[in-house]
Amino acid sequence: MQVSATQQAFVLNQALTTCRATPSIQHPVWASVNERQYKSMPTHGIGRWRHLLPKDPPKKKRDRQQMKEIVVETETTYATLNINVSGYDMTVVEHFSQHIHNLCNRLGIKVLDCYALQTKTTEVWLMQEQGTKMSVDSFLKTHNRVVQLRSLSATVCPIFLEVLLKNQPEGVQLCVQEHTEVDYKARFKGRPELEGLKAKITY
Amino acid sequence: MAAPCRRMAGRSLLQFLSSFSRTSVSNSGFRQFSSTSVCWGSRQAQHVEERASSPWTLMAAVCLQRLPVISAESNPIEQQFRDMMIQMELEKSMLSDHELRLLDDAERMRRMQAGEYDSDEEEDRRDQDIVLAQDLEDSWEQKLKNFQPAARVSDSEGDPGSLQRRLSDSLLLLVERPVGREKLWMLPQTEWQRGETLRETAERALSSLPAASGFKATFLGNTPCGVYKYKLPRAARTESSLGTKVFFFKAVLSDAGAPPATESPESSLLWVTKSELQRYVKPAYLMKVERFLLGF
Repeated sequence: MQVSATQQAFVLNQALTTCRATPSIQHPVWASVNERQYKSMPTHGIGRWRHLLPKDPPKKKRDRQQMKEIVVETETTYATLNINVSGYDMTVVEHFSQHIHNLCNRLGIKVLDCYALQTKTTEVWLMQEQGTKMSVDSFLKTHNRVVQLRSLSATVCPIFLEVLLKNQPEGVQLCVQEHTEVDYKARFKGRPELEGLKAKITY
Repeated sequence: MAAPCRRMAGRSLLQFLSSFSRTSVSNSGFRQFSSTSVCWGSRQAQHVEERASSPWTLMAAVCLQRLPVISAESNPIEQQFRDMMIQMELEKSMLSDHELRLLDDAERMRRMQAGEYDSDEEEDRRDQDIVLAQDLEDSWEQKLKNFQPAARVSDSEGDPGSLQRRLSDSLLLLVERPVGREKLWMLPQTEWQRGETLRETAERALSSLPAASGFKATFLGNTPCGVYKYKLPRAARTESSLGTKVFFFKAVLSDAGAPPATESPESSLLWVTKSELQRYVKPAYLMKVERFLLGF
């Protein structure tokens, strides 16, 4: 029945056209006076780019200091090494540690960390010649700076150490050690109240 | 092969202290070294396999250096600059506690002599009346005058065998060895034996020197710093020995120990600076050795 088919098609078409008469995209009706008109512009938000970047993980409010991983030694490199520079004269010690840091950057040795340890004060008491009274002569402060190397290659090691030894200034001690967790824990202050409470709990 | 090692080096605080060791044998002339190495020798020995023997004999030599004991001399320009910096820093600096005390004491003296002094006002100064800051300074100056620093240049300056020469430069150890028909000056070396690492060979080379029995050296690493290849003359070449390859290892002297009681003519040691090296050592050898020596 061709006629009925065409008739049906015509009816369908008419229905569609009637549907299409109502617009699918609603024009923004001015519900309130405060709505601005430029948001309807076709170029609105044309400069947006931040939504295209990969999502960063939300930053934690306060990052607790985590210990950096100690690099394991391999066949050709050493483990994490600590170069400890200590002495009484702070400017010389600091300048020497800066020199070591710059030298590592130039030689391609990766530096993990560069920090200072606590200053230790030594009181020097002199015995007086007449009598037994001791008198305070001077206060000596020992400053410590540490440069931590990531993986020192065994081929560079003797050259690097010799350069350090030859450039070592007067009055400065140099110490090269492996980095251990004990060294890391030594940097933190003790908390006697916490330990006291812990002892009370366990006791 | 890498091995964890731990060492400490300390330089003598004042340049005067080091020169005292001229007459007496003591440790103050050298940097204090202490090193412990985790036993890695066993690890390496397991990797020894049977390899086809190469025609080259392997030797390891030790490049033993005595580091400078006193600070280097400065140029006139450096001297002038240093003086100028000291003066500038003095002018820009703040007064220290001692200088403040000096000023206070002078002020009090002046007020006491002016006659209007009321000693009840300053009660906290009682114990400081006994020792004035000026007296302290005078006693310190007296001590400084009594202090005699040793000379920078020691008597044994020209003697190449002495360890106390050239205190402001670094010295290198040379020994004389018979090679072929003549005696040549070279760094102490021995042949490598199967089953040991090259570093152990170098340590053996040092300890096998008869005159260097008391030497304590700290090796700076497990890898060699230089190599010297020596081909035997055509007449001496055979199937199995084409020549020798010598690997150099760096070490730093930490203690010289007691000098030998009798100087035997065979045990000839030389301590030379890098610039004096060319007088003793063959040119081909010198070219290879100079490459890894720092300084001049």
